[in-house]
Parts: sequence; structure tokens; C-alpha cells
Amino acid sequence: MSTVAKYIRFALACWKLNLAGAMEFRLSFFMTAGMMIINNFVWIFFWQIYFHRFKLVNGWDVSDVMMLWAVVAGGFGLANVFFGNADYIGNIIVTGQLDTYLAQPKPVLLNLLISRMSVSALGDVIFALLVFGCFGKHTWSGMLKFSIALFLSMLIFVFFSVCVQSLAFYVGHSEGFIGQELLVTFATYPTDIFRGMTKVVLFTVLPAGFISYMPIGLLREVEPLFFGAAIGVVMLLVFGGTALFYRGLRRYGSGNMMGMRM
Amino acid sequence: MNTLSAKSLFSGKAVKYLSVGYITVRNNFVYLRSFFIRSWFLLVILFIFVQLWRVTYQGEGNEVIEGYTYEQMIWYLIFAEAIILSSPRLPVKIEEEVKKGDVGYQLTRPMSYLLYHYFSYLGEAYVRLIVNIILGSALGLVLFGWPRLGLGLFGFLIVSIGSFTVNYLMTMMLSLTSFWVEETRGLVFVYQKMLFIIGGLMLPLEIFPGYLQAISEWLPFQTVAYFAAKAGVHFEWMMIAKMLLIQLLWIAILSFLLRVVYQKGVRKLNVNGG
Amino acid sequence: MTLAIKVKGLSKSFAVKHKKTGFLESLKSLFNPTFSEVTAVHPIDFQVEQGEIVAFLGPNGAGKSTTIKMLTGILHPTQGSAEVLGFNPWQERAKLAFHIGSVFGQKSQLWYHLPPIDTFELMSRIFELPRADYLKRRDELIERFELGALMNIPVRKLSLGQRMRCEMAAALLHRPQIVFLDEPTIGLDVVVKHKIRDLIKEMNKEEGTTLFITSHDAGDIEQLCKRAIVINHGQIILDDTVSNMKRQFLKHKTIHLKLQEVPGQFNVPGVKLVKQKGAGIRLSVDTSQISIENVLSYIVQNYQLVDVTIEDPSMEEIITHIYEQRREEVD
Repeated sequence: MSTVAKYIRFALACWKLNLAGAMEFRLSFFMTAGMMIINNFVWIFFWQIYFHRFKLVNGWDVSDVMMLWAVVAGGFGLANVFFGNADYIGNIIVTGQLDTYLAQPKPVLLNLLISRMSVSALGDVIFALLVFGCFGKHTWSGMLKFSIALFLSMLIFVFFSVCVQSLAFYVGHSEGFIGQELLVTFATYPTDIFRGMTKVVLFTVLPAGFISYMPIGLLREVEPLFFGAAIGVVMLLVFGGTALFYRGLRRYGSGNMMGMRM
Repeated sequence: MNTLSAKSLFSGKAVKYLSVGYITVRNNFVYLRSFFIRSWFLLVILFIFVQLWRVTYQGEGNEVIEGYTYEQMIWYLIFAEAIILSSPRLPVKIEEEVKKGDVGYQLTRPMSYLLYHYFSYLGEAYVRLIVNIILGSALGLVLFGWPRLGLGLFGFLIVSIGSFTVNYLMTMMLSLTSFWVEETRGLVFVYQKMLFIIGGLMLPLEIFPGYLQAISEWLPFQTVAYFAAKAGVHFEWMMIAKMLLIQLLWIAILSFLLRVVYQKGVRKLNVNGG
Repeated sequence: MTLAIKVKGLSKSFAVKHKKTGFLESLKSLFNPTFSEVTAVHPIDFQVEQGEIVAFLGPNGAGKSTTIKMLTGILHPTQGSAEVLGFNPWQERAKLAFHIGSVFGQKSQLWYHLPPIDTFELMSRIFELPRADYLKRRDELIERFELGALMNIPVRKLSLGQRMRCEMAAALLHRPQIVFLDEPTIGLDVVVKHKIRDLIKEMNKEEGTTLFITSHDAGDIEQLCKRAIVINHGQIILDDTVSNMKRQFLKHKTIHLKLQEVPGQFNVPGVKLVKQKGAGIRLSVDTSQISIENVLSYIVQNYQLVDVTIEDPSMEEIITHIYEQRREEVD
């Protein structure tokens, strides 16, 4: 069997186990997922009322914002269902729990990322599909573009966290690290309400712009410049994050980390 | 009972619950620093809404939307968010007390369980409110300079008492359902979301389509964030009086219901055990 | 002497919902639950005189806390009557509350981030104490419990023992006639335990306070109480003086030994080998046959000792013992 196939089988087994674990507490499971769906629908409601009164916000109409929510919630949801540990990497490094993963004969980063599943994120995924069902373009190309948008934003969420959290290797703590929460907060508003410095930040340090512009730059019509940039950013985050993590891991292994709790 | 002892009896009771409020205020001052640190989220949300409304007012081309200027709209959001974010997280505490039987422990003191929690709720709420108002006002000052709200802050503070009271009554009632159901999270969660939408946290009710406004007017949710925030930006004696009256009405209805729920809960404790 | 507590035929049963497994079943039982009656307390009778110190014992779930809840008016009994300080607890709970106090070892009533003085102040308001009385009483308790230096330090910075002393003083501010103490020495070290017990005894002697103590610590019972009521499965299985109980049930002590080498046979009357694992040994000593002192000197003379600990039997063991004996009597 090829290595890739083995890793995929490993990931599938891990996900199955996570899901089974979550299903143990069924009532709590449905409740947590359901609450997240309601939570998101509150925002759908907000935007419906808003557009009922104002029609357009800097060129965005109601269906753009609906798709915005589908892409953000879906991407965030997939990220936290399948790679739910991303935001906890820093804490795991600092508290020395990484050793468990190092002892297992599987790629550390992959193993780490997939060993937690967020139940509420499952609600996000369901929500995203519902919203796409109501407001999306149900053509083959529409569905393909939506899937690509979800996939890209999922990768942005996961590897943004990997980049940030890997810093724990270098600074020795994980306090005050920004999580996906902030990314979500900025990604769930039309990119074009921001201007100046904020907009620069949203397309650089806090790459929320690459997620929130998907409805315009990919779903509505493919803007080659944006689409290309988005793919570039995803690659940068994936490779940069992985490199940052494994470089840090070497420091960890050689015991050169600052302020480590032994 | 003669009038003198009746009077001293009343002041004894009043002082009792005021001291409960006072001690929670003091206790929460310890958390002041962490309240400030945790309130960064308030600033993020307000920052985003400032952008959204700036664009909205530009797009609309009008100085005033449904009676709110841009400046007033932002101050409305500052006040509304301050009320909601300052409301203490009661459900976790109450659920624990019900499940662990601490409800009973409180009962062994000559004190009403519901009033005890009410005053400790107020104590915590106002410490948090100070923090949130300071932060929110700092943002308002940076954006618009000295606020032109007249007696707004005064109106906001007056109405906020009723806001927190209604919020307490509703939240307590929902939390006490833990006498009967395992999970109260869901109920409380839905209630909070109602406050967000038809309670006017995200948008002033004036922006709503007519039928939704009509529905909201007949529900208690508007008396929490919407009333306080509107009193803050549109100070007017008559309007404040009307708001207080409506709040009072809801407080009467809700405290009656809360008493019933509580008594049923305690009876349930008697029938089914802890 | 007057009675502090008078209980007659007091019983309590609960309707307990059947727990169902499976999602559908649990959903069904949400709307149409099935109940069965569980008796927590069978009809019990006892009386406590004013000024007595009574131990109220029993394993977890024996009906201890249900009984106390009925005595404080939190729960209504299914049947029977009770009179506490002349009040009917569940009908006159609010009035009774002014005259009783409670100290729970595991549940602090002190405000964690504030100095004890603030909690004292709050208590004075809750119990509606006249200002002058409160101040006098407070200073008196501060002196007796030696709290002077602690009063202005936030509770979180106090040691467990210091906290317990404050806890007790706070519960006594309103001069309660009955105090319910639940595990008052839990988690404390030996020296502090003694100190707390001394204070409890002193308060009983000087103010004639009636004390109702539940504890898992046999030492608490031995050193504090004159009388013990043991409850199990909702029934009183023993109501006797502690000295009687001790004579009958506290006559065993356990000795853990660790020796230099694996020993030969133990042949001392009154000493039973319970368990041996190499050089580690557990002995059970019947103190009515041989004193601990004699056993220890025998060991020291005959073996090379590494470590030794002596233990009282746990409350659970004593109660099991009592329970078994009662059953034998019945059979």
C-alpha cells in the first residue's frame, strides 16, 4: 500500500472514532450541533432584516452575504470537524502533551490535527449546506465552485492556526494567541465594508479577506486575480505552517525550547 | 405588630439584600482586570459595526436613518452591547446549585433564594457595566468626540435597572427548569438569541419590517437592550416614563411567573429528591 | 432539660424516575415518565436535648442528609412530625433559620476574594443583628477563635485551617442554638483538627449550643460527641453513647508495618495478621485484649522496623460492623 493511502486510512479510522465518541452523549451531541445552527441562523435573520431595509451594501446583495455565511461556516465547520485540534496545538506543545503524538509512528502534525472533533462545528457544516440549499446556485458549476470555496477556506482556517500555534515552540507559551474565532469574526462581513489599513490586514496577517471575498471573486464570477491569489495564499499557509511546525518540533526535540515545563 | 417594628422590619430586610448586592460588587472588583482583558471582543464587534454602518449611511445618502444619525446608531450599539455583555452568566451557577442541592443550603438562611440571587446579579452586572461603558465610550469618543446625547447616559442608567431586572427574571426562570430537565443550555441559548434579534441588540427595532416591530412590541425582549440603548441616544422624559412603565408591567408578570416556577421546583425537590 | 430536637415517626420517600437507555426511550420518558417510590428515610424517632453533642452517622446515601434537610425545613416529610427549637421546621422554616447555624466542611460560605470581615458583615445583615450586638459578638468570636490577624486578609490567601476557623465563627455570629456541622475537619492536618475540635467543644460548653455532627472521621466522633445515632438504609440502627459504641466497635486498630526482612509467624493473642506482602504487613489489634503499646514494644523487640502507622477503623468499617451485628441479633 502506498504511504498516502495508508495515511488516508489512518485519518478515516481516526475520524470514525471521534464521531463514535461524540455520539456516546447523543442528547448533548444533537443539542450542541443544533445550538450552533440556531446561532448562525440568527445572523441570517439579521442580514435578511438589514437587506429588507437597505438592498445593497457596497455592491453586495443579500444572496452574496448568504453565500458568505455558507462559505465561512462551512469552511470553519469542516476545519473543526476534521482537524479540530488546530487551535489547541499551542496549548498541547506548552503542556508537554506532544510527547504522546511523538511516540506514535504517524506523521505528528496530521496525527495531532485529526485527533479532536468539534461537535458544534458539525452544526456549522449542516448549516452551510442548508444555506447553500436555500440560496446557492444549484448547477454543476455552482456546486463545484462552492466545494472549492469550502475546501480553500477550510485550509485557510486550519493552517492559519497551525502557523499561529506553532509559535508556541519559539516563545514557550500560548497565552494571547489569536484563534480562528477572530478570523471568523472578520470573515463573516462583506469584505468591502472595510477600507484602508484594515483591508490590508485582512489580506495579509489576518487572511479573513480571502475567505470573505469568495462569494464575489469565485462564486458570483471567477476573478482570476483573486482566485489565483487565494490559491497562492492557501499554498503559502499550508507549506509555511508545516515548515514552521516541523522546524519548531526540532527545537522541541533538542530541548532548546524556552520556558518549557519539564 | 405596631408600625414602628413593621418599619424596622422592612428596613432590616432591605438592608439585608442591599448588603448582598454590595458584597458582590466588592467581590467582582477583584475581577476588574480580567473583565477589561476579556472585553476586547466588544471592541472588535463595535469596530466592525462602525464600518458596516459607515458604508450603510454612505450608500443611503441620508444623514438620518429611521430617526438615528450615524453617531446615534453607533452609540445605540455601544449601549445595547454593554447591557448584554454585562449580564452575568447566571444559568451555569443556578444549574449547579440545583443539581448539587445547594438550593437547599441557601434555604437554611433567613433569606429569599430569588432575592439573594437578584441582588447578587445586579451587583455583578453593574461592575461589568462600568467596564463595558468605559471601553465602549472610549471608542465613541475617538470616533465622534464628546457625545451629543444630552441626558442620555442618565436615561440609560435609569432604564438599565429595569433591563437587568427583566433579564434576571427571564434567565432565572429558564435556569430553574434544571429542576426538571437535564440540559438547560439550549433553552437559555435560544432566549439569548431572541434578545439579540427581536430584543434589538443587533439592529434598533425601527429598522425592522412593520409586522416584526408589532410583534416585538408585545414581547418582553425589547425591554432589555433596546429600551436602555434607545434611552441612551434619544433622551426624552415622556419616552423614559413609558419605558419604565412597560418594564414595570413585565417585571410584575415575570416575577409572578418566576415565583410559581420556583415553588413548583422546590416542591419537585420534595417529591423526587435532589 | 429542654428538648432541642424532637422527631417522631419521621419518614420520607421520593418518586424516582426510571432512567431509560437509548435515545427514543429517553425521549419517551421525557413526556411519559414512569416512577417508582424509593424510601429514603423509614419512620424514625429520636430526641436531642439542648446542649448535647450528637454524632449523626451513616454511609453515603443512608438518609443522613435527607434527615437533616427535613430538620432544617428544606424538605417536607412524607409522614411524621418534628420539632426543632419548638418550631415545625417545614412550616416555620424562615423563623427557624434565625436560630440555627450550619458549617459545611466542603462548602464555604466565606467570599473567596474578600477578607472574612466582609462575610461577617453580610451575615450580620442576613440575620438582622442589631449593630451593637453584632460588633460585640464579632469581637468576642475574633478573640476566641484567634482571628484578629486574619480578618482583613482575602480568604483565598488563608490556609485551610484558618479558613475553617473563620467559617465557624461566621456561623456563630447570630448565636444559633443548634449548629449542624458536616465534616468539620475534612482535609485538615492533625494539629489543626485538634484545634478545631477544641473550639467546637468550648463553644458547646460555654454557650450550651446543641451540636449535630456528621463526619467520616472516627476521631471527630470519639473526641467530640457523647452520643451517636447511626443510620443506614433509612433506619436508625444504633442510638447509644459514644463510650458504649467505642467499647463495642472501636476496639480494633490497624497497624501497618514495614520491616527490614520478611518475618516469621506472629503469635501474639489479640493480634491478627490481615495481609502480608513480603516485608509489608497489616495487623488488626483487638485493644480489649492487648494494648497498642504492648504490641508495638513486642514488634520493636523482635523485628527491625522501617516504618509504622496506626489507624482507627474507618467509619464505614464500624458501621458495617454494627449493621452486621444488628442483623445477627435479628436472625
